[in-house]
Amino acid sequence: MAEKFEPVILGFLCNWCAYAGGDLAGVGRLQYPANMRAVRVMCSGMVHPDLVLEAFNRGADGVIMMG
Amino acid sequence: MIAIHVGQLARKLGVHRNTVTNWINSGKLKATATVGKKYLIDKNVFRIFCREYGISENILQELIGNETVPSKGDLPFTQNLNFNSKEVTMSAKPIGSVLVVGGGIAGMQATLDLANSGYFVHLVEKSSGIGGAMAQLDKTFPTNDCAM
Amino acid sequence: MSEVVDVSGEVGNFVVKVKKNPRYIDMEKCIACGLCAQKCPRKVDDEFNLGLNQRTSAYIKYGQSVPLKYAIDGETCIYLKRGKCKACEKFCPTSAINFEDQEEIVDLNVGAVILSPGFKPFDPSGFDFYGYGKIPDVVTSLEYERLLSSGGPCMGHLVRPSDHREPKSIAWIQCVGSRNTNRCENGYCSSVCCMYAIKEALVTAEHIAGEGLKQSIFYMDIRSHGKDFDRFYESAKAKGVRFVKARPHTIEAGQDNCGVTMRYAQEDGQVMIEHFDMAVLSIGLEPTTDVKQLADIFKLDLNQYRFAKTSDFSPACSNRPGVYVAGAFQTPKAIPRAVTEASTAAVEATTALIRSRGELTQQKIYPSERSIANEEVRIGVFICSCGINISGIINVDEVARYARSLPHVVHVENNLFSCSADTQEMMAKKIVEHSLNRIIIAACTPRTHEALFQETLQETGLNPYLVEMANIRNQNAWVHQREPEMATAKAKDQVRMAIAKAALSVPIERTKVNVIPKALVIGGGVAGMQTALSLADQNFETVLLEKSDRLGGNAWKVNTTDQGEAIRPYLESLIKRVETHSNIQVLKNASVTSAKGSVGNFSGTVQVNGGQREIAYGVAVLAIGGRESRPEEYLFGQDPRVITHLDLDAMLRDDPASLKKAQSIVFIQCVGSRDERRPYCSRICCTHSVKAVIHLKGLNPKMNVYVLYRDIRTYGEREDLYRKARDLGVLFISYGPERKPAVSLDGKDLTVKTYDPILRMPISIAVDHVVLAAAMEANDSHELTELYKCAANADGFLNEAHPKLRPVDMSVDGLFVAGLCNYPKPLNETIAQAKAAAARAAVILSQTEMTLDAIKSFVTDKCDGCALCLDVCPYRAIKLENYQAANGQGHFRIATDKALCKGCGLCSATCPKGGVYVHGFTMDQLRAQVVAALEDVA
Repeated sequence: MAEKFEPVILGFLCNWCAYAGGDLAGVGRLQYPANMRAVRVMCSGMVHPDLVLEAFNRGADGVIMMG
Repeated sequence: MIAIHVGQLARKLGVHRNTVTNWINSGKLKATATVGKKYLIDKNVFRIFCREYGISENILQELIGNETVPSKGDLPFTQNLNFNSKEVTMSAKPIGSVLVVGGGIAGMQATLDLANSGYFVHLVEKSSGIGGAMAQLDKTFPTNDCAM
Repeated sequence: MSEVVDVSGEVGNFVVKVKKNPRYIDMEKCIACGLCAQKCPRKVDDEFNLGLNQRTSAYIKYGQSVPLKYAIDGETCIYLKRGKCKACEKFCPTSAINFEDQEEIVDLNVGAVILSPGFKPFDPSGFDFYGYGKIPDVVTSLEYERLLSSGGPCMGHLVRPSDHREPKSIAWIQCVGSRNTNRCENGYCSSVCCMYAIKEALVTAEHIAGEGLKQSIFYMDIRSHGKDFDRFYESAKAKGVRFVKARPHTIEAGQDNCGVTMRYAQEDGQVMIEHFDMAVLSIGLEPTTDVKQLADIFKLDLNQYRFAKTSDFSPACSNRPGVYVAGAFQTPKAIPRAVTEASTAAVEATTALIRSRGELTQQKIYPSERSIANEEVRIGVFICSCGINISGIINVDEVARYARSLPHVVHVENNLFSCSADTQEMMAKKIVEHSLNRIIIAACTPRTHEALFQETLQETGLNPYLVEMANIRNQNAWVHQREPEMATAKAKDQVRMAIAKAALSVPIERTKVNVIPKALVIGGGVAGMQTALSLADQNFETVLLEKSDRLGGNAWKVNTTDQGEAIRPYLESLIKRVETHSNIQVLKNASVTSAKGSVGNFSGTVQVNGGQREIAYGVAVLAIGGRESRPEEYLFGQDPRVITHLDLDAMLRDDPASLKKAQSIVFIQCVGSRDERRPYCSRICCTHSVKAVIHLKGLNPKMNVYVLYRDIRTYGEREDLYRKARDLGVLFISYGPERKPAVSLDGKDLTVKTYDPILRMPISIAVDHVVLAAAMEANDSHELTELYKCAANADGFLNEAHPKLRPVDMSVDGLFVAGLCNYPKPLNETIAQAKAAAARAAVILSQTEMTLDAIKSFVTDKCDGCALCLDVCPYRAIKLENYQAANGQGHFRIATDKALCKGCGLCSATCPKGGVYVHGFTMDQLRAQVVAALEDVA
């Protein structure tokens, strides 16, 4: 492998906590790898299992639920 | 809300239509342009305007036709919640705004309650941001929620 | 950055002179990018972190500051002091720095004033024996909060100041600057320190990994007298926090100036020497230093401790009409009470100004909404540079070029600041010019800025839910500063995901409900009556239900308030005002029998004297009260000389002569409280006992009075009563739950036996009376919680929506709670809470209609009524209904209540058939985002 493995991670972020936390990480300039793509949801309980399967099906290396 | 043409309003008030246009343009009378060259004027804004310029409030009644204006302040005012203190009566109409001194958790809550029930609030805070001592706490029990 | 300098006038019409101190930064222009603070060369102690670290002269108070605008500290700024520097001005991307800014005096014309200046944490530097300021590892509790905080100087990784190592053993020392008349003048209890010390001890365990952490709390009495506080205390003990009843007298520095060595005397007199890695001084609350000045300006009376003087019957009213007080300015108090009493102050102000409600506030009007039903999707993308906040990392031009290549996109542009007022105008023009019907803003976070852009859309006649934000600042540029290429790629993905979602967006209507301007108050005790009266005084019709045939409740049985004010005259006048008020309808022998609807719009039946009656109301206040329990121990009910607190109050009223003859009286505290059956503190009994013993000592100074207690919880300024009782010679003897006192009958003689931990031996007291501090219980709320689908805690006390921030709201919108049914509390707190409930209720009642957030669930045709979602809905917003399908077939189908739904979408995640979705977050939209996110993945 010529390139370093860069995983693609899909994140579901609860608007009221994890998403707000993500914003705060920005305000605090905390640095983290740019591998995650965030989907904002109104509650992590809103994420249908099908969506998670869909993500893996489409090649996501990981799915993180934050809520 | 009152929706009215400038001309109509001018006739009711007995002034020239340009006068009304000038009032609106200068911001003396707050009105929003809407469809069909009509202007929207808030009832309360109009009432205050009438009082300021000595115009009879009856015109307001006419303008809104059969719609009734909810009567305000029918009850004589007494500071009747303060049990031990002397009753204070006021002849003049009170000013509908409140000053809150201190932007900590108590000041903020009072401000929100007042603003949400129809009063203009001035919040005075000494430092550069509101939040007070609670913002300095790491967490609050019993849930250990973040104090922010 | 302002303060009051002068006030004149009277209630209804004050003129207040306010001094606005210069901020040197234009709030309109500042975008909080932080460049000024980065470039500022002047470092000063950060007072927000109590000097534990440094900030610059150009600063922001803390990360989440409101307003999120920087300020320049004129006291330390190099340019303002020495005329040279201006580094911030050079780098500010929006030219927001204004060194010409001047102090300004403005006159504000207001009808009422609320004072909530807060408190000052006690400064323990004067106590040389604790070594604060000299020993590095002695910190105050507030400093410790900052050490723990992720926004604090250690970024949330707790280390001790001396050598920056993790502390393994920490001691908390309670009552530093409280309950002390020797070394400072603060005789009162600060009410909050016991709980924050326990909290800090427990939170520390989350910070320090591994075994061996030892937290010790040195206390005089643990005062966990709030709702569920005792459970918290017990859980701390169970988790290994050590509680030591001792007041350490000396702290010395440990070896190499690290850690501390502490000396204290145990209860049995043995002197102990112990080493800790760190000591935390649990400092009390004091009035702010300028409180005297403030009181002079407003001509207010302060009490001996310089807290605002108030009556127990009107806890938010100062001596000056129209000036109200809230928070720790009145007396030291914890957050829930501060929040409650802020609402109390608000209701006092609104009542004074009721004739002018709505006069100075305005409603905004938007043009009518344009229908986009038949339009093709036309997306406009606005990419923000945020000065250089975004464009410094992300190649915004590249992102823009990329966005143009995406389907449906008809317009793309870059803005320097998308949120500025001129950009909003420009954006509105472009929307009209290009007939855009979906808008993407790639900028900061929707949590702070979505509302602004929604408003811009509304002004152009577009539905506000057609905007979608891509968060390329907070969750991209700011957190990937070292990987600009990865960040740009991520920004592209974010924009693509937003477009994919927006293409499927449809206009959503914000539901409106009409508000019935009428309140139902359940319970005719002091709490219910005060609530009803406050609402009625604000011109809201109020129905007051009382289950018995007499108003007044428990207040008839108590003689005086904690400050010693007689309750009877107040109660009688309150009842009279309630019964004669034209806006109050009092229904006695009445109860609620059915209820439906939701906030703004409740209806149902009440039973009055056996007959049914229909009522409709916008809000309901539950004030069903509580009662003194009947003890089951200490010979209560078997010997008439064993009585409860309320029995004693009755005797003091009706037959003081017989009490005067008594030679010996024993009070036993915590009878039925803080045990397995009722694991809570009844809050009022300690104060009631010390009040009673003072009264008894007044009747007969020679009487021997004993109080057998577990912890004396005379919180706040009630501590003065406790001190006075001790000065009068009342003997306080502590006991533990494992060694309870015993009351026995020896022939005709009544004897109390207990163990004295100081003498270390059992003692026996012959007594004339035994007074039991019987636990307070909530009245049965079972029927009401069923009817309104609200909740009570395990002890039967009705629950508030949030224990700190929403202490009078219930979790069901439109329901409020006040008085003993929420938790045991003294009369002044009941009155405060009742008025606060009225304030919160008035917020709803003063609107004619309520706009609900549009993010709600909705049912699709695919729903077949399987009802899986009913149980998962945390708000009980879903019910099953009969449904007639288009083809004539009938089946069950769910219906959602828009007023109850909070849009969490648990239903949509549960539904196997796509029968229910959430507006703005439909399955299709979320799937589109998932697909778009992973488009480039092989």
